[in-house]
Amino acid sequence: MSANYILKRIALIFYTLFIVSVLVFGITQILPADAAVMMLGENATQEALEALRQRMGLNDPVWMQYLHWAGGVLQGDFGTSLRTGQPVGPALFSALGTSLTLAGFALVFMLILAMPMGVIAAIRRGKPADLIVSFISYIGVSLPEFVTATLAVMLVADMWGLLPPAGYIPLSQDFWGGLERLILPVVVVSVMMIAHVSRMVRSELVDVMHTDYIRAARLKGLHPRRVLFRHGLRNALLPTITIVALDVGYLLGGVIVVEEIFSIPGIGRSLMSAIQNRDLPVIQAGVMIMAATYSIVNFAADLMYAWLDKRIQYD
Amino acid sequence: MTNSSQPVLQIRDYSLAYHVPAGPVPVLKGINLQIERGEILGLVGESGSGKSTLAGAVMRYLSGNAHENDGGIFLGDTDLRAQSQRAMSDIRGRRMSMVFQDPATSLNPTLCLGEQLAEVLIRHRGLSRAQAWREGEERLAHVGLKTPAEMMHRMPHEVSGGEKQRVVIATAFACNPELIIFDEPTTALDVITSRQILDLFAELQSETGVASLYISHDLALVSQTAGRVAVLEKGSIVEEGETGELFRNPVHSYTRALIDAVPRPERRLVQPLAAASATPLVTIRDVSVSYGRKSLLDSILRRDFQAVVGNRAITLDIRPGEVLGIVGESGSGKSTLAKAMTGLNRFDGLIEFDGRPVRGLADMNRDYRRDVQIIFQHPDASLNPRQKISEILARPIRLYGDRTDGPARDRIAAMLERVRLPASYIDRYPHQLSGGEKQRIAIARAFLSNPRLVICDEITSALDVSVQASVIELLMELHRDTGAAYVFITHDINLIRQIAHRIAVMYRGDLIEIVEADRIGDSDRAPYTQQLLAAVTSPAAALGG
Repeated sequence: MSANYILKRIALIFYTLFIVSVLVFGITQILPADAAVMMLGENATQEALEALRQRMGLNDPVWMQYLHWAGGVLQGDFGTSLRTGQPVGPALFSALGTSLTLAGFALVFMLILAMPMGVIAAIRRGKPADLIVSFISYIGVSLPEFVTATLAVMLVADMWGLLPPAGYIPLSQDFWGGLERLILPVVVVSVMMIAHVSRMVRSELVDVMHTDYIRAARLKGLHPRRVLFRHGLRNALLPTITIVALDVGYLLGGVIVVEEIFSIPGIGRSLMSAIQNRDLPVIQAGVMIMAATYSIVNFAADLMYAWLDKRIQYD
Repeated sequence: MTNSSQPVLQIRDYSLAYHVPAGPVPVLKGINLQIERGEILGLVGESGSGKSTLAGAVMRYLSGNAHENDGGIFLGDTDLRAQSQRAMSDIRGRRMSMVFQDPATSLNPTLCLGEQLAEVLIRHRGLSRAQAWREGEERLAHVGLKTPAEMMHRMPHEVSGGEKQRVVIATAFACNPELIIFDEPTTALDVITSRQILDLFAELQSETGVASLYISHDLALVSQTAGRVAVLEKGSIVEEGETGELFRNPVHSYTRALIDAVPRPERRLVQPLAAASATPLVTIRDVSVSYGRKSLLDSILRRDFQAVVGNRAITLDIRPGEVLGIVGESGSGKSTLAKAMTGLNRFDGLIEFDGRPVRGLADMNRDYRRDVQIIFQHPDASLNPRQKISEILARPIRLYGDRTDGPARDRIAAMLERVRLPASYIDRYPHQLSGGEKQRIAIARAFLSNPRLVICDEITSALDVSVQASVIELLMELHRDTGAAYVFITHDINLIRQIAHRIAVMYRGDLIEIVEADRIGDSDRAPYTQQLLAAVTSPAAALGG
């Protein structure tokens, strides 16, 4: 992998974010919301509204408003929330931190379960173990998370009383208490990803175990464990990285329902309420932050891919 | 363990069938073989004869649907069939090992070469990692690799095919096994590289006295490598004997047919060109092809950009009705030139076809595309698997046909007859045909547009010798009948000496020289041409001419 490639990818990330910023700014312009009305309320006088519009630059041409906003974003200033009057940035970044904590735990939990499941299914292909793994995967794929989340809350929290049903405490405040409240959402979020990833690991490993170099490794008399883990799994995991990176996108945006059910103040939930309240600066900033996170995660996945497989020459 | 009088490998009355839903398919029938210490047994047969299954049976590495009779396979006095898979993993790599056809696929792409060699030493000789690594370096030096220490750390994609195969061979010899099975070890390599690998094999073989089973479809090569040869046809050994004797006086008709199918340069198959025509059909002037583009960073930093050269200023003529052979190792730019001539590659320079200048794809009009046809190496890849033969062959008729020629279906039927395929094939799909039959369809497709130049890009190299011989015969017949000129790209020098009028030798993108086919053996040829010729196993000497 060349320095050239890395530079090009970084340039591409900025380009992507630029397109996203134009789109999101354009869409928020079309939305039937008047920031001045939002801030001053329905009963404000025309003069007061006009003065505020003048002050906020709402009467400027759209491109000037865009440049003004984008310039602020580049300096880390995402504007102020129309609803709370607080700066948008700090609130959203803290929400992002919460979401990333959930995502991180879910990712680790998912990998711990999905990789062995995929491996077992692959080496026991067609046998009961494989069928059980496939069955679990299909359940995971076919149950939407609002169903699994509701079921989990009903059974584990309400009926058995094993875990608290909802709420979020930052780990820095109360580690064990926070962890306890994260267990259910992490499990619910992981279910669908476990399905993806275990099936991916299975099919890749099945392919790899039929290659010439695996035959060669076996015919060298290597221990089956070494053939599987050192020769097979390493090659089978490469495409899995791509799937995991895509799943991170799902983790950031698709878990709104889970955040809602478990009342976790994550970025999905913040964005949701911003949309309900027509809080334009928060919507714009939220989408930008999510797009940036997504681009960076995928970039990291590509770097990891190249690091694991030295043949890959990005240029 | 093994006393000296006992054969290293002994196979007795061994049969094997694969059970498929349609019933058992016998693959090996009553095999009897033995190999003594220090002996090389050549096993010759065409694809589907059961060679590789036999290797799998010896290594005890068979697929689940293989059913064996109660014949015996012994390594020394060890009954291999009585061993569990766990016991076999102790024997594999230590007492017997294997060298595979394609080093590019038999080495793990994500592990460095050193680890793939050292792991055998750690597993079977109980060395520590550091000891195994040191020993590995010695082994690599022993197989003629110049910088063994550095080589240990390289990844497979960073070294050449020949170097990879040397590493595989070093691994096979690492534990001083009693038996090594070589499964077509040079088929995937260039002429010159495979000559070097064969020399290395001979050296290590005589030094260690290992018993070798050398599997190949290449009779000329086996005749120079093995002391004894067994000929396998459809799962049975039809003939076995001392190499020289077997090739001089083959008893079985199949052996004779195989030997006859081997290309011999002195037996010319092509008709001499009539009078040398004054005006060439094609003139290629300074045609260059390069791959790759200048990157963004290169432009920013104003760095010089090094394009990969495919062809460097190639200049040559092709006369009407001529068969021009192009030879060279892989990467020499043979196919690149063919692609440039058919508009599949951009090129700089000028191609003149029948006096009309062609500078790029835009100049290749309908007439040019009709007149210049190309046939590719793998018919599996060049025939659409979802189209029937009738659809595949209807396309050239639809594109270039005259309405006066009659219905398309009649023309297709006539063409099938010309390429010696039954008329009933018209409604079949490519997968229902054998490899040789598919290549005949590709040939039929090219000739349906009545071309004046046909480019054949390695069209017989995926085929067995006997199939190759019949495809070549067909091509020569079509050449006689249609008078089309051929550009015949191949790495098989014995073959091209039989069928070409002139031979162009290419090396790393350059045209080295063009010579009359019967003068290629002259002593005043370019050094590279001589080197190439010397690397070729000439069948004349070995097969008793």
